[in-house]
Amino acid sequence: MKLSSGARLDGAKLSIVANRFGGVCRKMGNTLLRTGRSGVLNRAKDFSCCILTAESDLLTAEESLPIHVLSGPDLMGRCMKQYHPVLKRGDVFLHNSPYHGNSHPADHTLLMPVIDDDGTHRFTVVAKAHQADIGNSVPTTYHGTARDVYEEGALIFPAVKVAEDYVVKDDIVRMCRMRIRVPDQWHGDFLAMLGAAFIGERELLSMGRELGWYHLEAFSRQWFDYSRKRMIEAIAKLPKGRATAKSTHDAIPGTPPDGITVTSKVSVVPSAGKIHVDLTDNPDQMACGLNVSEACTRTSAMIAIFNSIDPTVPKNAGSFRCIDIEIKNRGVVGRPEHPISCSASTTNLADRVQNATQLALAEISEEIGMGEIGCFCPPSTAVVSGIDPRDGKPYVNQLFLGHTAGAGAATQDAWLTMLHAGNGGMCFIDSVELDEVYTPILVKTRRLIADSEGAGTFRGAPGILVEYGPIGARMQAIFIADGNINNPKGARGGEAAACSQQHVLRTDGLSHALPQYCDTWLEAGETLISVASGGGGYGNPAGRDPKRVLEDVREKLVSRQRARDVYRVSITRDFQLDEAETTALRAEPSSWN
Amino acid sequence: MRLACDTGGTFTDLIVEYDDGAVKMFKAATVPSDPAQGVIDAAAVAAADEGASLRDFLGRCELLVHGTTHAINAIITGRTAKTALLTTAGHPDILTLREGGRSEPFNFRIAYPAPYIPRALTFEVKERVNSAGAIVEPLDEAALARTIHELSDSGAEAVAVCLLWSIANSAHELRIGEALRAQLPHVPFTLSHQVNPTLREYRRASSAAIDASLKPLMSRYLGGLVNRLTENGFGGRALVLTSQGGMMDADELAKQPIHAINSGPSMAPIAGRYYAGLNSSLPVAIVADTGGTTYDVSVVRRGRIPKTRETWIGNPYRGHMTGFPSIDIKSVGAGGGSIASVDAGGVLHVGPKSAGSVPGPVCYSAGGKEPTLTDASLVLGHLDPDYFLGGRMKLDIDAAQSVINEKIAKPLGLSLMEAASSIVEVATENMVQAIEEITINQGIDPSEAALIGGGGAAGFNSVFIARRLQSPLLIMPETGAALSCAGALMSDLRDEYRSMFFVRSSEWKAEAVNAVLGELRQRCFEFLERAGKTRESGHIEFAVEARYQGQVWEIEIPVHVNLFATQEDLDALVEDFHVHHREVFAVRDDHSAVEFVCWTAAVSAGLRKKPLGRLQIAARKLGEKSVRQAYFRDAGLVETPVVSMANLKPGVVASGPAVVETPFTTIVIDPGASYWLEESGSLLIKP
Repeated sequence: MKLSSGARLDGAKLSIVANRFGGVCRKMGNTLLRTGRSGVLNRAKDFSCCILTAESDLLTAEESLPIHVLSGPDLMGRCMKQYHPVLKRGDVFLHNSPYHGNSHPADHTLLMPVIDDDGTHRFTVVAKAHQADIGNSVPTTYHGTARDVYEEGALIFPAVKVAEDYVVKDDIVRMCRMRIRVPDQWHGDFLAMLGAAFIGERELLSMGRELGWYHLEAFSRQWFDYSRKRMIEAIAKLPKGRATAKSTHDAIPGTPPDGITVTSKVSVVPSAGKIHVDLTDNPDQMACGLNVSEACTRTSAMIAIFNSIDPTVPKNAGSFRCIDIEIKNRGVVGRPEHPISCSASTTNLADRVQNATQLALAEISEEIGMGEIGCFCPPSTAVVSGIDPRDGKPYVNQLFLGHTAGAGAATQDAWLTMLHAGNGGMCFIDSVELDEVYTPILVKTRRLIADSEGAGTFRGAPGILVEYGPIGARMQAIFIADGNINNPKGARGGEAAACSQQHVLRTDGLSHALPQYCDTWLEAGETLISVASGGGGYGNPAGRDPKRVLEDVREKLVSRQRARDVYRVSITRDFQLDEAETTALRAEPSSWN
Repeated sequence: MRLACDTGGTFTDLIVEYDDGAVKMFKAATVPSDPAQGVIDAAAVAAADEGASLRDFLGRCELLVHGTTHAINAIITGRTAKTALLTTAGHPDILTLREGGRSEPFNFRIAYPAPYIPRALTFEVKERVNSAGAIVEPLDEAALARTIHELSDSGAEAVAVCLLWSIANSAHELRIGEALRAQLPHVPFTLSHQVNPTLREYRRASSAAIDASLKPLMSRYLGGLVNRLTENGFGGRALVLTSQGGMMDADELAKQPIHAINSGPSMAPIAGRYYAGLNSSLPVAIVADTGGTTYDVSVVRRGRIPKTRETWIGNPYRGHMTGFPSIDIKSVGAGGGSIASVDAGGVLHVGPKSAGSVPGPVCYSAGGKEPTLTDASLVLGHLDPDYFLGGRMKLDIDAAQSVINEKIAKPLGLSLMEAASSIVEVATENMVQAIEEITINQGIDPSEAALIGGGGAAGFNSVFIARRLQSPLLIMPETGAALSCAGALMSDLRDEYRSMFFVRSSEWKAEAVNAVLGELRQRCFEFLERAGKTRESGHIEFAVEARYQGQVWEIEIPVHVNLFATQEDLDALVEDFHVHHREVFAVRDDHSAVEFVCWTAAVSAGLRKKPLGRLQIAARKLGEKSVRQAYFRDAGLVETPVVSMANLKPGVVASGPAVVETPFTTIVIDPGASYWLEESGSLLIKP
C-alpha cells in the first residue's frame, strides 16, 4: 500500500495501518513465548509487548496483560527520554523501577527506540516480562513484608542502557548474573526479550520506510482521535452517576490490623464523555511490599472501566483521554516514593483498586461493573525454590497451578481462569506434567470446589483446591494470600465467593494453617493445600436463569441444596428442573432480600 | 481411473483422473444431512459427462480418495457421541481448566467455554504415576470396576481415558482398556497415550476425548459411504484424507477418527507443494486457500510442511484445542463472503463476520443484506456478473453497487469505486496478517517465497497480496479452485508414529534412542503391511521435537540417520537443531544443551507413478470485444482485457491489467504485473 500525499488517512487506511501495528506486537509476543526459558514466561506467558509513539503515548498493546500496559510503558518511555535525551539506533534500555513508571521490579522491561534513517526518534517498542527471579533478599518476586526496597533487595534499573548499536553491554549482564538466582534462566529470558525488541524495531523500520514516517505519525494522531471518539460514544451510552466503593486487602505484617481498605470514587459523565476516578482518599504508603506503583494504580482503575464498556474501543492514549484518574503522592495506592517497596504492586492491592472501581461502576448502573475478582496469590501460585534432587541444580520459579478468580459481570458468568484481576485471564495455567518435569514436585490434587462460587444472576467462578509438595528434597515456598477474611464480594445483590485458605500437611498427617504472608520450607512428602477463592457474583441469585442453575447442578458445581437455598431453584433428584416449585420458591418474599 | 472427492460446506468437489491421464473437475451440492449422497451425486455428474451409467463409471474406478468435514461438523454442531472421561483421581478438571489463556481480555460478554466432556461424565480413577514413570499409587481395581459400572449407567456411548503420566508408564491406561473391553465390550474407547503420546495432560486428554467421541459416528459414516459406493458398483479402494496431509484406508481411519478433523484443508499444502516444485525454484512457498468464509494459510519449506499441535476447533481459547499433531494451517475469518462495515468512528472493517454461502453476498440475490468482498470485486469490474462460476450463477451488480454506496462509500466520504477498492484493501491486509503470523512463527521471509493461490475466491486479490508481501512469484494452479481436492490425488498413504523419550545432548543415550527408533520403524513396517505395500516401496522419515534446555516449546527437526552409531551422528543432529532454531527464532545458543523430547516416524507410500495430467477446461466463447472497465487503485477505471484461461498459449508473457477467467474462478491481474501460462497449466504472475 502506498499512502497518498496529504496527511489524512481515510477509514480504510486507518484500519490497515492499525492492523499492521497490531501485527508487530503479535510478532514480538510470539518470539518471547517461544524462546523464553523460565516457566513464568514460557509456560505461563506472563509478558507483554507494546508500541509507543515518539511522545511515549501508548499506540497499541495487542494481546498483552492489561496490568502491564495501559499505563506504565508511557511513563517509562518518558523516563527513558529524560535520562537519555539523545537516542541512537540500536540502543536498548532495561527498566524495572516502579518509582520511574514501571509496574513492579519483577517486570523487567526492555525499551528500544526506533530511529529512522535521519536519526529521528519515531516510536519505541516495549517488551515486558515477569522474571522468575530478580535478586530479591528472599527467593520470591513478591516480597510482601519488605519494609523498603533495601529489605526487598531487588536490583533496580531506572531506564539503564543495556545495549548500544545492537550490542549488549556485558557489564550489566555480569551484575545481574551475580545477583539473580539461576542466572542462566534469567539470561535466557533476557535474550528472548531482546529478540522480541529487535524484531519489533526491525518491523517498524521497514514499515516506516515503506509507508513514510510522516504518514505513520499522521496515522498515530488520527488513530488517537478515532479511539477517543469511540470512547466518547461508549461512555455516552452509560447512565450518568457517581458512586464510591471500597475493597479491603487482608492484613499482613506491615499493614494495619484490619488490613488495607482501598476507596474508589467513580463518576460517569456521559454528556462530557468522561469517567473520573478519584483514588486520593486512601491511606499513606506502608512499610510493606504491597504499595501500588503509579503505573499499576492508574492501570487498575482503567481496566475496571474498559471491562465495562464496548470491548471494541481501542485501548490507547486516545481513548485514555476520556479517563481522569486522581492519585495521591506517597499513597499506598497512588505514587509511592522510593525507598518504600512496591514488590507485589501488580497483584494484591492493585486488584483491590480494580475491584473497588468495578463495584462502584456496578452501583452506578446494572449494565456495567463486576463483582470482585478473586484474591491473589494463593500457594498454588507461590514462588518455589530449592535444589532439584534429580540433577543437583538450584531452581526458582513461580508456579501457575491454578487460580480461577473470575467474577460475574453484568451480562455474563465469570471467565473461569482469570488468575487475578489485572491479568484478565491472559496467562496460561501450568500443565501438571510440565511442572512435575521442571520442578521436583508432585501435584496431588487440582479440582474446582463445588458451592464456592459467588452466587448471582451471573455467577462468579468457583474456587479451586490445589495440593502439591516437593519430592526427593525440601523446597522453599513463598506467597502472599489475600481473601482469607475479605473474600471477593458480589455486586448489585450478587453474593461473595468463599474465603481462601492455606494449610500445610506435615508428614505426621496433621494439617496446620499457614499465615497469609508465608515463607516456609516443606520437607519431601509434605504438601501445601491451597484453597483459592473464586469471584463474586453479579445481581440477585434468585434472578438467575433456572436453566443455568440446572446446568451448574448437573455439572456438580452447585449442589441441589444450594440451588434451592441461594438460587431459589428446585431441581429433582434426577436432575430435572421443577418449574412449579421454582416459581413458588421465587415468589417467596425472602428470595428478594 | 481415480477419483478425489472433497466434501465442503457448500459444494462437493470431484476430480476425476482418467486412465489416459486427462483430469476433469466436477461439482455437486453438498447434502448436509447426508454427505455421502453428495459424493454419489458428484460421481453421477461425472458419469453423465461421459454418457456412462453411475454403476459403469464407479465400476471402472480403482481408487477413491475422500476428504470429509463430517468429523469437524459433528463437533461444531454437538452431534458426537455421549462420551465419558476416565482420569487420575484428584484431577477431574483437566478439560475444564484447559491451558488457561484468553483473547480479548476486556470482553466480559463472552461465556467461558464448556469442557469437551462435561464434569458430570468425568470419573476419577484411584492411581498415580509420577514423571519418572514410577507407580506412586497402584490402580485400585475394585474401585475401577465400580466406576465402569457407574459410567455405564450414565449412558456413555464412548470413553476417553487420560491418566497423568501415561506417556511415561502406560500400564494403568492399558489395564483400564482391558477392563473396559471386558465390562463394556460394545463401547468404543481411546487411550490417551496411544492416540497422542505427548506431554501436557490437557492436550492428551483433549485428543483422546475428541477421538473417542467421533468413533461411533465416523464408523457409521465411513462404513455407510463405502457400502453405498459398493452398491453402486464401486469395487476399488476407499481412502480418507487425514489432518497430517496423508491418506488412510477408510476402515483404518474409523478406528482413529481424530485423524479426520482437518481432512480436506490439509490437502491444500500438499497440492501447493506439488505446484511449487513444478513451477518455481524458490525454496519456500506460502499456500493460501481462499474460501467463502475462511482464509487458510500454510507453508512449505524445502518440501517439508510444518506441523503444529495447537490446532483449534473454533476460536483460540474459546473452542477446543485438539492437541493432535496436524499440518500447521492458520485460518482467519476472511473470504469472498466477508462482510464490510464502517464503525461509529468512521473506520472500515472487513470480516471476520461472513455472509457465508447462504445468504451469501448481496449480489447473489439470495437475501444477503451486507456488502462483502465478492460484492466489492463485482463493483470494481473484476468479476463478470454473467460469467460467475462459468455462468452458472448470475450476479446482481446494481444491488452490489447500491449497498456499497449506502453502507461504505457514504459513511467514509469516498466514491463508489474507492469504497469498493478499500474493501478489497482491508480484506487483503487481514489476509496478509494471517500469512505473516504463520511465516514469522516459522522464521520465513515472505519476500523470498512463492505465493500459491487456491480456492474459489483466491483470484480476487492474490496479486495484491503478493505485492504487499513483496513476494517474487504468484502461482495460480489450474486446479486452484479445488486445491484440496487436487491435493488428494497427489498425496500418499501415510501415518505417523511417535514415542516420548527424553534425552539431553549432554547426557546422550545412543542405545536407548536407537531402541526407540527401531520400535518406531517396526510400526511403520506394520503399517505398510496393512496397506498392502512392500517395505521397499515405503518411505520412512524420522524426526524429533527438540528445544534448548529450559525451553518448553519444541521445534521439529528431521533425523537423518536410522541409527546413532558415532559421536558425529549426534553432533550433526545438534547442529541441525541450532540451525533450525536460528532460522525460526533468529538466535542460536551454542552453550546450551539440546533436549530431545518426542521421536517421530512418518511412513508414506506413494500410489501414483506419473505426474498429474492437465485439467480439461472449456474455453468461454467471448465476443469480439473481450474487454471491460475495471477499477484499480492507482490506475483508476481502465479498459481491461478479459482472457479465457483455455485460450492462453504457454510461455507467452502478457502484462496487466487483465482478468483471466475459467469456469471455476476469476484471476485479477493488476496493472504493472506480468503473467504467463506454464506448460503445467498453472498461471504464473510476477506481481
